[in-house]
Amino acid sequence: MRTTALNEITLMQYIVLIHSSQVGTGIFSLPRKIADSSGTDGWISILIAWAANTLAGCVILLVMRKYPDDTLPDLFRKLFGKAVGKLLLIPVIAYYSYYGFSVLVNSMLYIKAWFLPYTPGYLIVLLFAVPTFMIVRNGMRVLGRYVEIVFYMMAWMPLFLLIPLDQGHWIHLLPVLKEGWKPIVRGVHDTLFSFAGMETLFFIYPFLRDKKRAFHGLFIASSLTLVLYLFVTISCFVLFAPDEIGMLNQPLMNLLKTIEFRFLERFDMIFLALYLFVVSRCWILYSFSAIYSASRLFDRPDHTKPAAVFLVIAAAIVFVHQPTWNEADRSETVLTILNEWYMFAFPVVLYVAVKGKELLGRLRSE
Amino acid sequence: MKRLLAVLLAIALLVSGCMDRKDIEDISLALIIGIDLNDEDKLQISTSSPVFSREAKIKTEINIVGADSLRAARDENDRTFTAYTSGGKTQLFLIGKKLMRREGWFKLLDPFLREPKNTSSMCIVLVDGPVSEVMSFNPRDKPRLPIYLTRLVDTASRRNLCIRTTLQELHSIDYEKGKTASLAELRLANKVIIKGSALLNEKGIYKMSIGADETRLLRMLQTEKAGEILFSFKHGNKSGDPAVPDNAYMINIQKYTAKLKTGYSDGRFTFDYRFKIRALLAEKLFSLDPLQEDKVLQAEMNRQLEEKFTRLIGKIQQAKIDPIGLGNYARAYRYSEWKKVQNRWGEALADADIRVRVDVTIASMGAIR
Repeated sequence: MRTTALNEITLMQYIVLIHSSQVGTGIFSLPRKIADSSGTDGWISILIAWAANTLAGCVILLVMRKYPDDTLPDLFRKLFGKAVGKLLLIPVIAYYSYYGFSVLVNSMLYIKAWFLPYTPGYLIVLLFAVPTFMIVRNGMRVLGRYVEIVFYMMAWMPLFLLIPLDQGHWIHLLPVLKEGWKPIVRGVHDTLFSFAGMETLFFIYPFLRDKKRAFHGLFIASSLTLVLYLFVTISCFVLFAPDEIGMLNQPLMNLLKTIEFRFLERFDMIFLALYLFVVSRCWILYSFSAIYSASRLFDRPDHTKPAAVFLVIAAAIVFVHQPTWNEADRSETVLTILNEWYMFAFPVVLYVAVKGKELLGRLRSE
Repeated sequence: MKRLLAVLLAIALLVSGCMDRKDIEDISLALIIGIDLNDEDKLQISTSSPVFSREAKIKTEINIVGADSLRAARDENDRTFTAYTSGGKTQLFLIGKKLMRREGWFKLLDPFLREPKNTSSMCIVLVDGPVSEVMSFNPRDKPRLPIYLTRLVDTASRRNLCIRTTLQELHSIDYEKGKTASLAELRLANKVIIKGSALLNEKGIYKMSIGADETRLLRMLQTEKAGEILFSFKHGNKSGDPAVPDNAYMINIQKYTAKLKTGYSDGRFTFDYRFKIRALLAEKLFSLDPLQEDKVLQAEMNRQLEEKFTRLIGKIQQAKIDPIGLGNYARAYRYSEWKKVQNRWGEALADADIRVRVDVTIASMGAIR
């Protein structure tokens, strides 16, 4: 039985889903991280990280191609049997929920720092939780429609970054390769995480209607992210002194602060508030992956209960613990390592397993 | 039951959202903040903010306090102003010359860069004289001081009479090894007058002042194209009549291109500027046919402009500063040599060989000959 038949998504939704799983709050601090490790040559690191991630996405697609209508939980069941498959699902759920939770908390911290310093964090998370719940409890099609409309609605946002660009000093980018390739390779490590998101393919791909275009879609989505990151990073490099960027926690916010009109000051506030739509796509997608897997773990077709449980736990953790910026930073370091294993090593293992099963089946039939 | 729960939750959420609410009547917006040293060399911070009240006769409140830091001064302000003092709308920072001669004064502005709610796009202006006098200045023929001063600095910088520098830009330059800061400078003498630009050294300490004419030259050396650029010249060697200077003429630069070649030879940097200027004749107080004798005028302008440039560059080199940002070019084109001198760039630049060649073309003489 095809569980995905009712929830098919179009190619455009597929592209935007991948793109939005990559773009989160990381974009605000990305230019600093790159500048810290590879100076103004960092934009080359972005190119390398993009290639590496697109490749990882291709490996995932190669795995999924064998079982085009199965999401990760179904794949586990087919490869390893029912019991082991379910057991393997637990770390997967943990990973996706941790990721989704991190994005949620990061967004909360931004909102708290910029707008609502005296409002308790759990209330902000609860406010985020209401729309999240309404989308996540439905299927992939609703998710796809949400991210698509947000994509169209917010497509103007990068254009505003063009405004301060005429005061930039392009000379900051020269000389290219000033310290050789070493710092650039070092920068790749920090940049890889900002492209993280390919792992949601395990859940997006099976719902894609036109599977022949999966690789094209992946490439387009990843390149869309590449263009956005390159644009933001180079804008920051051009506008801020090379030695200064390391001192700015979120260079993109500082850049937005410089945008002013005669009739409007503090454009960064408006931008950040609207950017919530963009980030929301990321945490919604990750928490959906976790919730979908959890409902499979308990063999329930309905997502409502796992969704409610996830969001209530998220709010409860924030209520009890009250995360700080430093903790969010440290948690991101952990997540970076987890992500590297999950996105680069895990698909290869899966690929070997899929091939092995194929071989086994062929041997048996002979 | 379910509905009741939902209603309760909604109320709880809505009410708690009010924790960050502030009414505009309760906020005093610090539109200008002045920092200076008083006679005993103690920090003195003055704030000017508008009063939103129909009953108040004077619509601006000014508070001058001695305090250890900006944050501490805000505390002092809150004790006399209506409650919340906010830096989210600050337009100008006035810094006294006395303070700017101290090392590390820039660190005082830290809260405006640190707190996300504060803006960092306000303009930093040097005041030649006590800041508190400017703050209490209340001319009857001008709008309220914050609006008047902000507009004055904006328009003056558009005319290139002074260089407008925002807090964010200053923060950039603070970390930039290849450039030193330049700010607008004003002074109070019965009225507020824009003096020109003040140049700081690598540590942010006030070094020298330049006038409007030199500010324009500096803007051209920085290859900044925004705003109007005017230059006046003297024709021939005759000294003009002081009442009606019959040897004066003036050009308005319509467009210019600057080419800068960066080199390194014999242990020092070389910078070669080539300016190509298209000029409009804006004023000419003597009889000379610009159609026939344009070559004479152009050669004369080339020579006089080159002299002016050389004089300004000499001053800058003597002060061991780099307001032009030539360090950026040194880094971009001569990276290995730059790396050796990047921490004492001012000295390296003082040693550098900077040449300027100017090529003026009169594009239009105007409506009369």
